[in-house]
Amino acid sequence: MSIQNPGILAWLIPLAGVILLLYLLKMKRRDLRVPATFLWPERVEEIRANALFQKLRPSWLLFLQLLALLLVVVALAKPQTQQKGLAGEVTVFVIDASAGMSATDVQPSRFEEAKRIVLQEIRSAKPTDRIAVIEAGPTPRVITSLSTDPAREAQTLEGLQPTDAEAEIGEAMRLAAALVGSIDGARIVLLSDGEFGKIDNFSRGKAAVVYRSIGERDDNLAVSALGATETPKGRQVFCGIKNHGSNPMGGTLSLYADGKVLDSVHTPEIAGNGQWGLTVAAPAGARVFEAKLDAPDFLKCDNYAVAVVDPNLALHVLLVTKGNLFLERALSLDPRVTLDEASEVPATELGTEGAGRYDVVVFDGIPEQPVKARGVLTFGAAGPASPVTAVRSVTKPKFVSANKKLLLDSVDLQSVFIDKQESVSLKPAGEAIAQSSAGPLVVTAQDQRRRQIYVAFEPLESDFPLQVGFPIFIANALDFLTGGTSSGTLAVKVGQPFTLPITGDAKLTGPDGETTPLKSTGAALTIREIRRVGRYILQAEGKKQTIYATLRSDTASTIRPVKNLDLGGGNVKASQSPTRYADFWRPLALLGLFVLGAEWWLFARKS
Amino acid sequence: MSTMLLEPREFRLLDGLRLNPRKSFGGKVRGERLTKKKGISIEFADFREYAEGDDLRHLDWNVLARLDSPVMRTYRDEEDLALYVLLDGSASMGFGSPTKFEAAARLACAIGYIGLNGGDAVLPRILGRREPNPTTLRGRASYPRLAGWATQPRDIDLAKNGLAASLRAFASTGARVGVAVLLSDGLDPDAAAAVRILGGRGHEVLFLQILSDVELDPDLEGDLRLLDSETGKATEITANSYAIKEYRRRLQEHNQSVVEAVRRVGGRYGLVRPDQPMEDVLQNVLKREGWVK
Repeated sequence: MSIQNPGILAWLIPLAGVILLLYLLKMKRRDLRVPATFLWPERVEEIRANALFQKLRPSWLLFLQLLALLLVVVALAKPQTQQKGLAGEVTVFVIDASAGMSATDVQPSRFEEAKRIVLQEIRSAKPTDRIAVIEAGPTPRVITSLSTDPAREAQTLEGLQPTDAEAEIGEAMRLAAALVGSIDGARIVLLSDGEFGKIDNFSRGKAAVVYRSIGERDDNLAVSALGATETPKGRQVFCGIKNHGSNPMGGTLSLYADGKVLDSVHTPEIAGNGQWGLTVAAPAGARVFEAKLDAPDFLKCDNYAVAVVDPNLALHVLLVTKGNLFLERALSLDPRVTLDEASEVPATELGTEGAGRYDVVVFDGIPEQPVKARGVLTFGAAGPASPVTAVRSVTKPKFVSANKKLLLDSVDLQSVFIDKQESVSLKPAGEAIAQSSAGPLVVTAQDQRRRQIYVAFEPLESDFPLQVGFPIFIANALDFLTGGTSSGTLAVKVGQPFTLPITGDAKLTGPDGETTPLKSTGAALTIREIRRVGRYILQAEGKKQTIYATLRSDTASTIRPVKNLDLGGGNVKASQSPTRYADFWRPLALLGLFVLGAEWWLFARKS
Repeated sequence: MSTMLLEPREFRLLDGLRLNPRKSFGGKVRGERLTKKKGISIEFADFREYAEGDDLRHLDWNVLARLDSPVMRTYRDEEDLALYVLLDGSASMGFGSPTKFEAAARLACAIGYIGLNGGDAVLPRILGRREPNPTTLRGRASYPRLAGWATQPRDIDLAKNGLAASLRAFASTGARVGVAVLLSDGLDPDAAAAVRILGGRGHEVLFLQILSDVELDPDLEGDLRLLDSETGKATEITANSYAIKEYRRRLQEHNQSVVEAVRRVGGRYGLVRPDQPMEDVLQNVLKREGWVK
C-alpha cells in the first residue's frame, strides 16, 4: 500500500488532541433536589462541556469521533493498493485489428487472444472502473466509450472481427489519448503484435501507456509480388514469394489466369527473410491473374494476391502542381489510380512520341506541355498543346450552359463560384462542353492517340473542390481520358476506402458470401467494407462489378512479435501483468460517513 | 383546611367504618375487639373441664345434667386494639403538591379517626425525626389531639433519619403488637427489609404508599446533578430517554419489593397520590382491599 498525500496524516494527532481536549472539559450540571437518588442510574453522558476540567472517561461518542476522524484523515491521504492487472480506474483498450493479428501462432488467433484478455479485464474490473475499447483497424473506431457497463462492453467486444488490412495504430492511439489523456491515472492499453509503422505526433497526456505483446512466433510466407508484363518472349506473369519469418519454409504456389489454373509448383525451402520468384508465360487475353500460396505458416491472408492487367484498371497518374490537396485526394479516391506528384513534368515524359510512364498527366495551374501520356487534364493554364488558346484572364464569370455529356454526369457547375478563369478561344479540335460568360469553361479534344480535357479555371480559385461533384468530375475525367468508363473489374488494397461514381444504393457480397447493403450519397458510393482479402461482387445499378482485395504489405506480413515499442517519445516495454495502483479512499470516506452518522445517532439518543 | 384536617363531609364518610385487621391482638384494657384470650364476652369460644375455683356462672348445666360431668363454657375476651399510625416525616415526604407529608397527615387522621371510633387504642408515631410520642388516644373525643399532632408545625427538611432506620427503631421499642398503619412514600432502599422487620415483630402492617408525580412521572431534562433530599448525596445524570426509562424500571422494582415484603408478613398494601380525594382513597383502597369494613 502506498499513500499519495502522506502529509495529511500529520493532521491526525492535533485533530485527535482537540477532540480529546473537548472530552476533558467538564460538564457544569444544574443542581436539582429530588426525594431520593438511589433510583436514578448513575450514568452520565458527556456530550457537552462548559467548564474545566475532568478526568477522561471512556465514551462511545469519543471512540466513534476518533474513529471517524481517523477514517476521514486516512481517506484524505489517498491511500492506494498495488494490484496486478492491465486495467486501471480509467482504461482505454486499443485492440490491434491489423492483418497480422489474424496469425494463428496463438490459438485460436492473436486477435481472439487480445479479445479474451480484454474480456477478462472487463469482467474482473471494479464497478467504478471506467473502460473504453478502440478497434485499431484501417479506420480506428471507438467500440465502447468510457463507461462502467461491463455487460454491454463484453457483448460489443464479442462481435468484434479482425481485418486483413494494415491498421492505423497511430490514429487509434491518438484517439485513445483524446479520450483519456486529460484524466489523472488513466491508462491506455495497447494489445498488439507490435508490427506497425513508427508512430509520430502521439502524446499520451496524463495517461500511462501499457503495451501487451501478443504473439509467439514469426513463421510466415507471403505472396510479395504478382504482375504481368510484355516481354520479347511474349506476355509473362511474375510471382514473388517472401519468407517474413526467421525459419526456412516452403509451400505450394498456384497461379490462375482468369480463374483457370496456370501453374502449380512446390516452392523450395525459402530461407528466413529470403525471397523466391517464378515467371511463367501468360495466356493471351487473360486479364486477371491470381496467386494462391498454400504454406504451413501462421498468417493466411497474405498468401493470396491478384493482378489485373486491364490497362484501364491500373492508371498511373502524374499530378503537376504547386500543391493541391483537394485534387490529390480526389485522384486518390479512384481505386485504379497510382498517383505521383511533381512540380514540373519530368523530361522523360515530354514529347508526343513513344510510350510514357504515365497514363494521365494533370496540369494544375501549370501551363500544359506536350507529354507522352494518352490523357491530359489541364486546369486554368492553357499551353501550346491545349485544344484552346488563352486570350486573357476574366474575374468572376457566370456559368451559362453545359452539354449533357458523360464528363459532366452528376456534376453541377451552375453552383460553382469561380473567382478567376482564362478566357480562351477554341482550336479546331476542341469542343466546348460547358460555357461561362467569359467563354468556354470545359473543353475536350480527342484523336487517335490522345484525349485532352481543358478546364478554364484552377480548382483553388473556385469553390469547386468543396462541391460534391468535384471527385465525380475527376472520376469522369479519368474515364474519358483513358478511353471509356471503368470496366467490370477492380483490384484494391484491402481496408482502403475508395469511391465509385454510383448514384444508387448497392450490395457488396464478400468472399465469405455475406452481403452488405451500401448506401450511396446520391452522386458517389464510398466503400469502406472491404476488410478481408478475396473476391467481392458489387451489385449496383443492375450491373455486377468484381473487386479483388489484396494485402501485399511487408509490414502486415511481418508477424514477429515486438517487445519494445517507440510510442510518443518514450519506449514502452511489453508487460504481461503490470502493476496498477487502485485508490481506496472512497470506501474509507464512506465508512467515515457511516461512523459519523452512527455518532450523530448516538448523540441524539443520549441528548 | 381547618385544624381538624378533615372536612365534615369526610367525617361522615368515616363514621361507621371499623378497621378490619386479619390478626387478633391482645389488649391492655377491655375494648371492643375480640381477642384470642378467653374472657367474658358473649362470643362463645369453647368447652373445658371444670377446675376448682371456676366461676359457676359459666358451668354448662345442660351438659352436667345429661352427662353428669361438669363442663365449663369459655368465651372470647374483648380488648382494645393497638393501632399504630406511623407517619413518615422524612425529608422525601416534602415533595409534591400538596406535599406527600400533608396527604399522609390527612390519611393518618382519617385512619386514626376510624380507630378512635372503633374503640381502638390509637398510637400516633412520627418517623424520621425525634419527637416525644403522644399518649395513647382512645375514644372519638381524642380526635382533636390526633389532629393537633398531625398538624404540628414541622420543618420537613430537617428530618434526621430515613424511613428504614426509623421503622427499625420503632420495631425495636418492644411496644405491644397491633396494627401498624405506615403512611410513607417508601423511598428508602431498605424499606422492604424494614417492613419485614416490622412484620416480624408481630405487627400487622398496613402500608399506604404515597407517591407524587415527581416520583411517578419525573419531568427532567438535560444534564443534572441530583441531590438526595435525605442523604444529600449527589448523583450526576443526563436526563435522556434512557435515564428516565431506567428510573421507571427501578422504581417499579423497588415498589414491587416493598409490596412483596408487606404481603410476606401478612400485611396489606395500597398506593395513593397526594392529590387523590379522600372518598377515592376510602373507596378504591381501604374498602376494596378490606382494610376497613
